[in-house]
Amino acid sequence: MSGPAPLTTDQPGQVASATPPAPGWSRRLSDRGLAVTFISPALLLLLAMSVFPLLWALYLSFTDYSATRGGPAHFVGFENYIAILTSAQVHLRAWTTLIYVVGAVALQTVLGFSIAYLISRRTHGRGVLTTLFLVPMMLSPVVVGLFWRFMLDAQFGVINSMLGSLGLGQVEWLTRQRTALISLIVVDTWQWTPFIMLIALAGLTAVPKYLYEAASIDRASEWFRFRTITLPLVWPLLLIAVLFRAIEAFRLFDLVYILTSGGPGVSTETLSFHVYKVAFLGFNTGTASAYGILMVLIVIVLAQLYLRYLNKLKED
Amino acid sequence: MLVATTMAACGGGGEDDGAKASAPKAPATIPELTKDPLTLSFIWFDWPPAHALEDFANAEYTKERSNVTIKVKTVPNANWHDAMFTQFAAHKTDFDIPILDSQHIGEAVTNGNILDITDFVKKNIDVKAYNPYLLAAYGQYPQAETGQRDENASLYGLPLLGDTWTMIYRKDLIGDKPPQTWDEMISVAEKCQADNPGVSGLAFHQANGSDAAAVTYNTVNGVYGGNLWDAKTRKIDGIVNDAAGQEAMDVLVNKMKPLTAKGSGNWFIDEVNAAVAQGKACIAFNWIAASGGLLDPKQSTLGTTREQILDKLGFAPLPTQKTNLVPLGGMGMHVSAYSPQANQAEALNFMKWFEQADIQKKWAAAGGVPARTDALESPEFLNAGPFNKVYADSVPRMRDMWNVPEYARLIDIENTNVNAALNGAKKPKDALDDIAKEQQGVLDAGSGKGGGGL
Repeated sequence: MSGPAPLTTDQPGQVASATPPAPGWSRRLSDRGLAVTFISPALLLLLAMSVFPLLWALYLSFTDYSATRGGPAHFVGFENYIAILTSAQVHLRAWTTLIYVVGAVALQTVLGFSIAYLISRRTHGRGVLTTLFLVPMMLSPVVVGLFWRFMLDAQFGVINSMLGSLGLGQVEWLTRQRTALISLIVVDTWQWTPFIMLIALAGLTAVPKYLYEAASIDRASEWFRFRTITLPLVWPLLLIAVLFRAIEAFRLFDLVYILTSGGPGVSTETLSFHVYKVAFLGFNTGTASAYGILMVLIVIVLAQLYLRYLNKLKED
Repeated sequence: MLVATTMAACGGGGEDDGAKASAPKAPATIPELTKDPLTLSFIWFDWPPAHALEDFANAEYTKERSNVTIKVKTVPNANWHDAMFTQFAAHKTDFDIPILDSQHIGEAVTNGNILDITDFVKKNIDVKAYNPYLLAAYGQYPQAETGQRDENASLYGLPLLGDTWTMIYRKDLIGDKPPQTWDEMISVAEKCQADNPGVSGLAFHQANGSDAAAVTYNTVNGVYGGNLWDAKTRKIDGIVNDAAGQEAMDVLVNKMKPLTAKGSGNWFIDEVNAAVAQGKACIAFNWIAASGGLLDPKQSTLGTTREQILDKLGFAPLPTQKTNLVPLGGMGMHVSAYSPQANQAEALNFMKWFEQADIQKKWAAAGGVPARTDALESPEFLNAGPFNKVYADSVPRMRDMWNVPEYARLIDIENTNVNAALNGAKKPKDALDDIAKEQQGVLDAGSGKGGGGL
C-alpha cells in the first residue's frame, strides 16, 4: 500500500483551506483505489449486461439449445452457422436488408448534406431551422412507425388523400412488394436525415472562412468552391455519420414491425426481424444466437474496412 | 436482440430442466386462500373483452374475495404469444392466469409452463355442462379431433371466452336474407360492389401479423372441403395443398380479394370493423367478441342510435359450401406454473367461481361469450347482442387448427404466405405449396430439441 499522500505546498491557499483527512483514509484510498472504486460499478454493469450475454450467446450458438423447451444444450459445432449461411431464406433477408441500408443511407446522406449546406448559408434563423429539422430524430421509432402507418394507409391515410386531391390514383404503400420497401426507406429517411444534417452542419461550420475568402479573391466559381473546399473538408465527417447510420439501418427492426410486419409476405423482412422470429416464435435459441453473432461479426468486419478507408482518406 | 435472446436463454437454461418435460399438477382441492391483499393478474391481448373481463371480475369476484384485485395486463395482439412465452422461458411470470389461444396449449404443456388441472376439474367443475368440443379446445391436450373430446385426456385450462367468425352484412344494400353459400356470398358481394361505388364487396382479415391471414385461408379451406393436416400421421404436405386446398386458395385470391378495398392487404380486426362502421363494406367477416363496437353510434356512420345501425347491419353464421365448418376462436384460462402458491390457489378459486352457471350468465350479459351450454342458451346471453345467436348456432360447426408445440412457427409460415398471395407477392399455388413444404419441415424437425428453425 502507498504511504500517506504528501500535502502539496505549491498552492498555499489550498493547504490552508484543506480539511485534514480522517485517520487512515489516505492509506485505504489512493488515487488508483479511488478510480477503481468509482469505475467498478459501471464496469460490472457493462460486464453483466453486455459482455456476459455476448459470451453466453457465443456459447449457445454452438448448441441446439431452446430457451422454452429446456433440456441440456447439446454441442453441435458449426451446424447452426452453416445452416444460416446456406439458407435461401437468410440470403433473401440479407438482400432485402442490403437494399434497405444502401437506399436509406444514400438518400439520407444526400438530403442531410443538402439541407445542412442550405442552412449553413443562412445567417438568420439558422438555429430555429436546425431545431425544427431535428424534431423527427427525437421521436421514438415506434411512434414514428405508428403515425406513418396511419398516414400511408391506402384507404384512410392522408398521403393518398392528398394524391387524390391532385387527381392522382391511390397507392398501396404498405401492401405491395415494390412500394412497401420504398415506404420503409422513406420513413427511415424522414426520421434520420436530421442526424446526417446535424453532423454535416458541424463540418460545414468548421470549414475555415479564409479558404472561401481566398477563393473569392481568385474569383472561383460557386461550384469550384464547393468541389475543392467544402466537400473535401466535410467528407470525412460525413463518412463517419454514414457509418453510424449504416450500422443502425442494418439492425432495423422497429419500423418493420410496426409498418409492414415484414410483409407483404416476407418482402420487407430484414435480418433483425427474421432473427426475432427465429428467437421468439420458434424459440430456437441456439440458431438465433448464431444468427446474432454472425450479424455482429458482419458489422464489425464492415466497420473495420470502412474505418481503414477513413484513415487512408485522412492520411491522403 | 442478442441480449434479449440471451436473457431468455439464461432464464430457461440449466441441465435440470430436461426432467421437467410436462406440466406440474395442480391440487385437486383449492388450498387455503390468503386473507392478505392480493392482485390476481391475467395476461391477454388488448381488445374489448380484456377490459370487460377486468371490470366484470373486479365488480363481481371481489364481492366474495374483497382482498383480491383483478388486473388484466394487455399487450398488442402481435406480441401476445411472445409476451407470455418469453416470461415462461425465464421461469418467472408477472401474471398468474395466462389466457392462451387454444393452439398455444401444446407449447405451454410440453414446456411445463402451465398447471395440469385435471384433478382440480374433476373435483370442482361440472364438465357435463359444457359443449364437449369447447371444453376440449380450450383445455385439453393432446388436441381433440374436431367436434370430439377425450374424457380421459388431461385438462390444462377452462374456457374463458368462446368465439367464432360472424358474417356482417348490409341489410340496406343486399337485403334482409343473408347469402347461404360461399359462392352465393361472393356473387352478392360482387353485385353490391358494382351497384354501390365507393363500397367494397368484402372486408376480411389479410394482415401479416398474429393469425390474421391464416385464419382467413383456414376458413375458406374448411368450407371448400379442405384439411389443414392429418393429425394422426402429422402430415401437412399433400393435404393442405391438395385439390380442395388449391380451390380454396383460388377462391380466396382470385375471387374474394378483388372484391376488397384497395390497400386492405394489412387489415385485421380493427380495420375490418372500421370499414363496416364507415359504411365501406357490403359483407365483412370478423370475430364475434370484437364486434360489439359496431353497434356504438359514436364509432359508426351508419346511424345515430343502436337501432338505426341494426336496421342496416345484419349478423349471420358463415355461409356453407362443401362443408359447414367455421373457425374456432376464443381462449381458455390457465394457471402459470411459476406463480407464487398463494396466487395459484387464488387462480384456481377464481376459475371455480367463474365457471358457475349464474356467473357465466352474468359474464354473458357483461359482453363475454360463455362456453357452458346452459349459459349459451340463456336469454341473458342471446339477448345481450345481435351476434350472440350466431355464436350459439355456430358451436357445432367449429374447427380448430393444429394444437402442437410448433404452433407459433406453423402459423407464421401460413400467415406470411397467405399474405403474400393476397398482396400479389406470390402466386397462389406457389404460396400454398410453400406453406405445405415449410410447415412439414417444422413438424418433422419438431421432435428434436432446439436447433434449426430458419
